[in-house]
Amino acid sequence: MSKQKPAPLPPGTVVGGYQIIRKLAAGGFGVVYLAEDAERRLVALKEYLPSSLAERSAGELIPRVKPEKQPLYRLGLKSFFEEGRSLAQISHQSVVSVLNFFRENETVYMVMNYLQGDTLQDFIVTARDLKRDKVFRESTIRSLFDEILRGLRIVHQHKMLHLDIKPANIFVTNENKAVMLDFGAAREVLSKEGNFIRPMYTPGFAAPEMYRRDGTLGPWTDIYAIGACIYACMQGYPPNDAPQRIEKDRLSLSLSRLRNVYSDNLIEVTEWCMSLDPLARPQSVFALQKELSRETERRYTKLSFSERLKLQLENIKSGAKA
Amino acid sequence: MRFSVYQISRRGGREKNEDRMGYCYTRDSGLFALADGMGGHPEGEVASQMSLQTMAGLFQRDAKPVIREPRRFLTESILAGHHALIRYATERALLDTPRTTIVACILQGREAYWAHCGDSRLYLVRGGRLQARTRDHSYSELQESLNGVVPLGDKVNRNVLFTCLGSPGKPVVDLVGPVTLQPGDKLLLCSDGLWGALDDDTITRILAESAISDAAPDLVERALRIAGEKSDNVTVIAVEWESAEDDETLTGIETEALGDEVFASTIQAGAGVGSPDDLLDEAEIERSIREINEAIKRSAQKRG
Repeated sequence: MSKQKPAPLPPGTVVGGYQIIRKLAAGGFGVVYLAEDAERRLVALKEYLPSSLAERSAGELIPRVKPEKQPLYRLGLKSFFEEGRSLAQISHQSVVSVLNFFRENETVYMVMNYLQGDTLQDFIVTARDLKRDKVFRESTIRSLFDEILRGLRIVHQHKMLHLDIKPANIFVTNENKAVMLDFGAAREVLSKEGNFIRPMYTPGFAAPEMYRRDGTLGPWTDIYAIGACIYACMQGYPPNDAPQRIEKDRLSLSLSRLRNVYSDNLIEVTEWCMSLDPLARPQSVFALQKELSRETERRYTKLSFSERLKLQLENIKSGAKA
Repeated sequence: MRFSVYQISRRGGREKNEDRMGYCYTRDSGLFALADGMGGHPEGEVASQMSLQTMAGLFQRDAKPVIREPRRFLTESILAGHHALIRYATERALLDTPRTTIVACILQGREAYWAHCGDSRLYLVRGGRLQARTRDHSYSELQESLNGVVPLGDKVNRNVLFTCLGSPGKPVVDLVGPVTLQPGDKLLLCSDGLWGALDDDTITRILAESAISDAAPDLVERALRIAGEKSDNVTVIAVEWESAEDDETLTGIETEALGDEVFASTIQAGAGVGSPDDLLDEAEIERSIREINEAIKRSAQKRG
């Protein structure tokens, strides 16, 4: 029997006084709906419904959890609470805010601000399809990440790690504000309990220590992801994933393609954030902010003849487009 | 043993749902229990949860894989829950003890045994007829049972319970069983939120008419609709013995294949019964939600 995903609640369902309009997204941990409250304000409603542990047929409200899966279900629930608890304490415009948290249908729901806009991922895809030499302007990247880092600093101050920073989890609102979504502390806890859940990390953005069971995670882990996001904003594509990089690291090489397009400083900061060795990265968001906000004159260094040649050879070898 | 089970609990118009339910089973024995934490006393949800956890913990200890003396087990495990509540209140120096009703049923071999304290009920429906139902420990049902022999003054609130777990006196536990089951027999454990809104005939009819996976949610939905905004919480566990339902249904449980040592439970054991600390129990869940909402309020105030 193939494992079916639990069915989302149909539009029109009312939970905790919120009426569901439609499903926005579904992940390993649950479903996010667009809903409206009693005053018809739009909210994002996140339902705890781990797809590997809970079952729900279409039309039902209450998920079923087989007795043998109860302990893990409960453990995941605890993580869902941790996410709620952490987010509830944070009041920052770059961090999605939680409005309510309640229990119904034998599961729990988190009500969040509904943001209108697009994810950074959407922006990157749109921009790169324009096929200009720059995906984003450098000033755009700097101001975008300045906002994100302010939020991330608060998150870290609350002794919480995001652990899944990627362009798809960064939202740019119609008011041009960057907001971090999907705080996945939950993923971390659950993945420790065996491999029943899909890889918790997003290749390209996950630091090498996230692939290891004994890896010590810290602010530096989120900083690696920030570096990878900046990379994606410049390059239009995510960087190679960490295991690939450990085998053969082409990061410097692909970053060198961006020389003279982006300033040396931005490229260096990206490389610094993405050091394979956690200790070689900025150890705190503050350290990174300081570097990123340094408003000195931007230097641009053209590639030397030998570097250009090396790059071309590499392109031929890897069959990549120039 | 083969049975289907379906449980559902919904919050009515109350601020919180203090009803708790759950079941656990080994290869040869099943325990189904439901408790309704009482308002007007502190921490009703703790009371209901604790009484179930205590039972489930003892069931796990004693069902190897059968309960040797089901009647004795039911009485003792219900009283153990009562003592756990008294202890809980004493340790925390509460002025009043959390209180709860409870109804529990053991299925073993071909027999059923059940016990209750308070006004949470058990219905046994066979072939469209109500075969048995528990009598509430309320003054009104007491009087009915006594056929009006003992007149009650008008001052007595008939719905008040004269016994429950957590009360100062020793709880009254009524026992029934062994009752030999027949294939297709349906058992329903429910809180007063259900029977307060639906009469016995309706409950019997709906239970008899359709599979429990339809009947249970249907009953709860009707009760909530009838009781309206002020509805009490409604909780039910329905069990069908040797159900004819096809094996595809998610609710069917076939225990034959289980080993001697297997114990499955939807009731989370409390601390001290061998559960890892990092598992949440019901009371903790409620507390977490409360804390999160308090934090949300504080943050919202900061935002202005």
